Amino acid sequence: MRDKILYGMGVVAILLLARDIYMIANFPPEAAQGAIFKIIFFHVPAAWTAMVAAGSALVCSILFLVKKDFKYDAIAVASTEVGLAFLAVNLVTGSIWGHVIWGIWWTWDVRLTSALVCWLLYAGYLMLRHAIEEPTQRATFAAVFSIFAFLDVPIVYFSIRLFRTQHPGPVFLSSNGSFPPDWGMVLLWNWVALLMLGIVITLVRLGHEETQREIDYVRRMAHAL
Amino acid sequence: MHLLSRLPLLFAQVSPEDIQREFVRLQRNFQFLSYGFAVAWIILTVYVLMMVGRERRLKREISSLKAMLEERQKK
Repeated sequence: MRDKILYGMGVVAILLLARDIYMIANFPPEAAQGAIFKIIFFHVPAAWTAMVAAGSALVCSILFLVKKDFKYDAIAVASTEVGLAFLAVNLVTGSIWGHVIWGIWWTWDVRLTSALVCWLLYAGYLMLRHAIEEPTQRATFAAVFSIFAFLDVPIVYFSIRLFRTQHPGPVFLSSNGSFPPDWGMVLLWNWVALLMLGIVITLVRLGHEETQREIDYVRRMAHAL
Repeated sequence: MHLLSRLPLLFAQVSPEDIQREFVRLQRNFQFLSYGFAVAWIILTVYVLMMVGRERRLKREISSLKAMLEERQKK
Protein backbone atom coordinates (compact mmCIF):
# COMPACT_ATOMS: atom_id res chain seq x y z
CA MET A 1 0.00 0.00 0.00
CA ARG A 2 2.79 2.41 1.01
CA ASP A 3 4.63 1.64 -2.23
CA LYS A 4 1.50 2.37 -4.29
CA ILE A 5 1.05 5.75 -2.56
CA LEU A 6 4.74 6.51 -3.14
CA TYR A 7 4.56 5.66 -6.85
CA GLY A 8 1.31 7.64 -7.19
CA MET A 9 2.82 10.72 -5.54
CA GLY A 10 5.97 10.39 -7.62
CA VAL A 11 3.97 10.22 -10.87
CA VAL A 12 1.82 13.24 -9.87
CA ALA A 13 4.97 15.21 -8.96
CA ILE A 14 6.65 14.41 -12.29
CA LEU A 15 3.49 15.33 -14.26
CA LEU A 16 3.22 18.61 -12.34
CA LEU A 17 6.91 19.36 -13.00
CA ALA A 18 6.50 18.61 -16.72
CA ARG A 19 3.50 20.96 -16.90
CA ASP A 20 5.40 23.68 -15.01
CA ILE A 21 8.50 23.36 -17.21
CA TYR A 22 6.27 23.73 -20.30
CA MET A 23 4.65 26.87 -18.82
CA ILE A 24 7.99 28.35 -17.71
CA ALA A 25 9.44 27.79 -21.18
CA ASN A 26 6.55 29.74 -22.68
CA PHE A 27 6.92 32.75 -20.35
CA PRO A 28 8.55 35.78 -22.00
CA PRO A 29 12.06 36.72 -20.76
CA GLU A 30 12.12 39.24 -17.92
CA ALA A 31 12.80 42.81 -19.12
CA ALA A 32 16.04 43.49 -17.20
CA GLN A 33 17.53 40.01 -16.68
CA GLY A 34 16.36 38.10 -19.73
CA ALA A 35 15.78 34.34 -19.78
CA ILE A 36 18.15 33.56 -16.87
CA PHE A 37 15.49 35.02 -14.57
CA LYS A 38 13.49 31.80 -15.09
CA ILE A 39 15.98 29.98 -12.86
CA ILE A 40 14.01 31.46 -9.93
CA PHE A 41 11.26 28.90 -10.64
CA PHE A 42 13.60 26.16 -9.37
CA HIS A 43 15.97 28.18 -7.15
CA VAL A 44 13.27 29.40 -4.74
CA PRO A 45 11.11 26.22 -4.54
CA ALA A 46 14.28 24.17 -3.89
CA ALA A 47 15.11 26.51 -0.97
CA TRP A 48 11.57 26.27 0.43
CA THR A 49 11.64 22.46 0.17
CA ALA A 50 15.00 22.39 1.98
CA MET A 51 13.53 24.67 4.66
CA VAL A 52 10.54 22.33 5.19
CA ALA A 53 12.98 19.40 5.43
CA ALA A 54 15.04 21.29 8.05
CA GLY A 55 11.87 22.07 10.02
CA SER A 56 10.81 18.43 9.90
CA ALA A 57 14.30 17.36 11.09
CA LEU A 58 14.08 19.85 13.97
CA VAL A 59 10.63 18.63 15.12
CA CYS A 60 11.65 14.96 14.86
CA SER A 61 14.93 15.59 16.71
CA ILE A 62 13.06 17.24 19.59
CA LEU A 63 10.52 14.39 19.59
CA PHE A 64 13.36 11.83 19.69
CA LEU A 65 14.95 13.54 22.71
CA VAL A 66 11.56 13.62 24.50
CA LYS A 67 10.21 10.16 23.59
CA LYS A 68 13.42 8.21 22.79
CA ASP A 69 11.62 6.60 19.85
CA PHE A 70 13.99 5.69 16.97
CA LYS A 71 11.19 6.29 14.46
CA TYR A 72 11.74 10.04 14.92
CA ASP A 73 15.50 9.69 14.53
CA ALA A 74 14.91 7.87 11.22
CA ILE A 75 12.59 10.64 9.94
CA ALA A 76 15.12 13.29 11.04
CA VAL A 77 18.01 11.70 9.14
CA ALA A 78 15.88 11.02 6.04
CA SER A 79 14.56 14.59 5.81
CA THR A 80 18.01 16.08 6.54
CA GLU A 81 19.58 14.14 3.68
CA VAL A 82 16.82 15.12 1.23
CA GLY A 83 16.94 18.74 2.42
CA LEU A 84 20.69 18.77 1.81
CA ALA A 85 20.15 17.68 -1.83
CA PHE A 86 17.57 20.44 -2.37
CA LEU A 87 19.77 23.04 -0.69
CA ALA A 88 22.58 21.99 -3.04
CA VAL A 89 20.21 22.61 -5.98
CA ASN A 90 19.41 26.04 -4.52
CA LEU A 91 23.09 26.98 -4.04
CA VAL A 92 24.20 25.82 -7.49
CA THR A 93 21.31 27.43 -9.41
CA GLY A 94 21.86 30.65 -7.45
CA SER A 95 25.55 30.59 -8.31
CA ILE A 96 24.78 30.17 -12.03
CA TRP A 97 22.30 33.07 -11.88
CA GLY A 98 24.93 35.19 -10.08
CA HIS A 99 27.51 34.42 -12.76
CA VAL A 100 25.23 35.83 -15.48
CA ILE A 101 23.76 38.81 -13.58
CA TRP A 102 26.61 39.85 -11.25
CA GLY A 103 29.48 38.48 -13.34
CA ILE A 104 30.75 36.40 -10.38
CA TRP A 105 30.03 32.84 -9.28
CA TRP A 106 30.05 33.62 -5.57
CA THR A 107 30.14 36.50 -3.10
CA TRP A 108 30.43 36.36 0.67
CA ASP A 109 27.22 38.25 1.46
CA VAL A 110 25.01 37.30 4.42
CA ARG A 111 22.39 35.32 2.46
CA LEU A 112 24.84 33.26 0.44
CA THR A 113 27.23 32.66 3.33
CA SER A 114 24.50 31.68 5.80
CA ALA A 115 23.00 29.28 3.22
CA LEU A 116 26.42 27.70 2.64
CA VAL A 117 26.97 27.43 6.42
CA CYS A 118 23.54 25.76 6.66
CA TRP A 119 24.56 23.20 4.01
CA LEU A 120 27.85 22.55 5.80
CA LEU A 121 26.10 22.16 9.17
CA TYR A 122 23.67 19.55 7.83
CA ALA A 123 26.50 17.79 5.99
CA GLY A 124 28.30 17.75 9.37
CA TYR A 125 25.18 16.19 10.91
CA LEU A 126 25.38 13.29 8.45
CA MET A 127 29.14 12.89 9.04
CA LEU A 128 28.55 12.87 12.81
CA ARG A 129 26.11 10.00 12.37
CA HIS A 130 28.74 7.99 10.47
CA ALA A 131 31.28 8.59 13.22
CA ILE A 132 29.23 7.12 16.11
CA GLU A 133 28.62 3.34 16.25
CA GLU A 134 26.29 2.98 19.23
CA PRO A 135 22.67 3.63 17.99
CA THR A 136 21.26 5.46 21.07
CA GLN A 137 24.32 7.66 21.46
CA ARG A 138 24.34 8.37 17.72
CA ALA A 139 20.66 9.35 17.67
CA THR A 140 20.98 11.55 20.80
CA PHE A 141 24.09 13.41 19.61
CA ALA A 142 22.59 13.81 16.12
CA ALA A 143 19.32 15.18 17.54
CA VAL A 144 21.16 17.79 19.63
CA PHE A 145 23.32 18.73 16.63
CA SER A 146 20.23 19.01 14.39
CA ILE A 147 18.57 21.43 16.84
CA PHE A 148 21.79 23.48 16.90
CA ALA A 149 22.02 23.42 13.07
CA PHE A 150 18.46 24.69 12.71
CA LEU A 151 19.49 27.95 14.41
CA ASP A 152 21.00 28.93 11.06
CA VAL A 153 17.71 28.51 9.13
CA PRO A 154 16.02 31.72 10.41
CA ILE A 155 19.29 33.58 9.76
CA VAL A 156 19.19 32.40 6.13
CA TYR A 157 15.52 33.33 5.77
CA PHE A 158 15.67 36.78 7.39
CA SER A 159 19.12 37.78 6.13
CA ILE A 160 17.73 39.61 3.08
CA ARG A 161 15.25 41.45 5.29
CA LEU A 162 17.66 42.38 8.08
CA PHE A 163 20.86 43.12 6.15
CA ARG A 164 21.78 44.93 2.96
CA THR A 165 22.86 42.08 0.75
CA GLN A 166 23.98 41.69 -2.83
CA HIS A 167 21.33 38.96 -3.07
CA PRO A 168 18.02 40.46 -4.32
CA GLY A 169 15.51 41.52 -1.67
CA PRO A 170 12.32 39.55 -0.98
CA VAL A 171 9.88 39.39 -3.90
CA PHE A 172 7.40 37.02 -2.23
CA LEU A 173 5.44 37.66 0.98
CA SER A 174 6.66 41.26 0.93
CA SER A 175 5.10 44.65 0.17
CA ASN A 176 8.09 45.47 -2.09
CA GLY A 177 7.60 42.36 -4.21
CA SER A 178 6.86 42.77 -7.89
CA PHE A 179 6.35 39.20 -9.01
CA PRO A 180 3.40 38.87 -11.46
CA PRO A 181 0.56 36.84 -9.88
CA ASP A 182 0.33 34.29 -12.73
CA TRP A 183 4.10 33.68 -12.52
CA GLY A 184 3.74 33.41 -8.76
CA MET A 185 1.13 30.67 -9.18
CA VAL A 186 3.46 28.65 -11.42
CA LEU A 187 6.26 29.09 -8.88
CA LEU A 188 3.90 27.91 -6.12
CA TRP A 189 2.85 24.84 -8.15
CA ASN A 190 6.48 24.10 -8.88
CA TRP A 191 7.14 24.19 -5.15
CA VAL A 192 4.22 21.79 -4.57
CA ALA A 193 5.73 19.44 -7.19
CA LEU A 194 9.24 19.63 -5.69
CA LEU A 195 7.82 19.19 -2.18
CA MET A 196 5.94 16.08 -3.30
CA LEU A 197 9.12 14.77 -4.91
CA GLY A 198 10.96 15.53 -1.66
CA ILE A 199 8.34 13.67 0.40
CA VAL A 200 8.58 10.63 -1.92
CA ILE A 201 12.39 10.57 -1.67
CA THR A 202 12.20 11.05 2.12
CA LEU A 203 9.81 8.11 2.48
CA VAL A 204 12.05 5.90 0.33
CA ARG A 205 15.05 6.96 2.47
CA LEU A 206 12.99 6.23 5.59
CA GLY A 207 12.49 2.70 4.27
CA HIS A 208 16.29 2.36 4.05
CA GLU A 209 16.65 3.42 7.69
CA GLU A 210 14.08 0.79 8.71
CA THR A 211 15.94 -1.88 6.70
CA GLN A 212 19.23 -0.80 8.31
CA ARG A 213 17.67 -1.18 11.75
CA GLU A 214 16.41 -4.64 10.76
CA ILE A 215 19.96 -5.55 9.66
CA ASP A 216 21.35 -4.34 13.01
CA TYR A 217 18.75 -6.49 14.81
CA VAL A 218 19.57 -9.61 12.73
CA ARG A 219 23.30 -8.99 13.38
CA ARG A 220 22.70 -8.86 17.14
CA MET A 221 20.70 -12.10 16.88
CA ALA A 222 23.53 -13.73 14.94
CA HIS A 223 26.04 -12.67 17.61
CA ALA A 224 23.79 -14.01 20.38
CA LEU A 225 23.52 -17.45 18.76
CA MET B 1 1.27 49.12 -32.00
CA HIS B 2 2.25 45.64 -33.14
CA LEU B 3 5.90 44.76 -32.58
CA LEU B 4 6.50 43.96 -36.27
CA SER B 5 5.40 47.44 -37.34
CA ARG B 6 7.98 48.89 -34.91
CA LEU B 7 10.85 46.98 -36.46
CA PRO B 8 11.90 49.63 -39.04
CA LEU B 9 12.00 52.22 -36.24
CA LEU B 10 14.08 49.92 -34.07
CA PHE B 11 16.51 49.20 -36.89
CA ALA B 12 16.89 52.92 -37.52
CA GLN B 13 17.95 53.50 -33.90
CA VAL B 14 20.29 50.56 -33.33
CA SER B 15 23.44 49.52 -35.13
CA PRO B 16 24.09 45.95 -36.37
CA GLU B 17 26.72 45.69 -33.60
CA ASP B 18 24.04 46.43 -31.00
CA ILE B 19 21.80 43.72 -32.44
CA GLN B 20 24.73 41.30 -32.52
CA ARG B 21 25.61 42.18 -28.89
CA GLU B 22 22.00 41.68 -27.77
CA PHE B 23 21.84 38.38 -29.66
CA VAL B 24 25.00 37.15 -27.92
CA ARG B 25 23.63 38.28 -24.54
CA LEU B 26 20.36 36.41 -25.09
CA GLN B 27 22.20 33.32 -26.29
CA ARG B 28 24.46 33.39 -23.19
CA ASN B 29 21.38 33.85 -21.02
CA PHE B 30 19.68 30.76 -22.47
CA GLN B 31 22.91 28.78 -22.30
CA PHE B 32 23.33 29.42 -18.55
CA LEU B 33 19.61 28.85 -17.93
CA SER B 34 19.93 25.41 -19.48
CA TYR B 35 23.08 24.77 -17.37
CA GLY B 36 21.10 25.72 -14.25
CA PHE B 37 18.21 23.38 -15.03
CA ALA B 38 20.56 20.59 -16.06
CA VAL B 39 22.62 20.88 -12.85
CA ALA B 40 19.45 20.92 -10.70
CA TRP B 41 18.22 17.68 -12.28
CA ILE B 42 21.68 16.07 -12.26
CA ILE B 43 21.99 16.66 -8.48
CA LEU B 44 18.56 15.11 -7.80
CA THR B 45 19.12 12.22 -10.24
CA VAL B 46 22.55 11.39 -8.77
CA TYR B 47 21.00 11.40 -5.28
CA VAL B 48 18.16 9.09 -6.39
CA LEU B 49 20.68 6.75 -8.09
CA MET B 50 22.74 6.69 -4.89
CA MET B 51 19.57 5.70 -3.02
CA VAL B 52 18.84 2.91 -5.51
CA GLY B 53 22.39 1.61 -4.98
CA ARG B 54 21.98 1.79 -1.20
CA GLU B 55 18.67 -0.11 -1.40
CA ARG B 56 20.29 -2.89 -3.42
CA ARG B 57 23.18 -3.13 -0.94
CA LEU B 58 20.79 -3.27 2.03
CA LYS B 59 18.65 -6.00 0.41
CA ARG B 60 21.76 -8.05 -0.36
CA GLU B 61 23.04 -7.61 3.18
CA ILE B 62 19.76 -8.58 4.87
CA SER B 63 19.22 -11.67 2.71
CA SER B 64 22.77 -12.92 3.37
CA LEU B 65 22.38 -12.26 7.11
CA LYS B 66 19.04 -14.09 7.23
CA ALA B 67 20.54 -17.06 5.36
CA MET B 68 23.47 -17.11 7.81
CA LEU B 69 21.07 -16.99 10.78
CA GLU B 70 18.97 -19.86 9.41
CA GLU B 71 22.10 -21.93 8.89
CA ARG B 72 23.26 -21.30 12.46
CA GLN B 73 19.83 -22.20 13.85
CA LYS B 74 19.87 -25.50 11.93
CA LYS B 75 23.21 -26.40 13.51
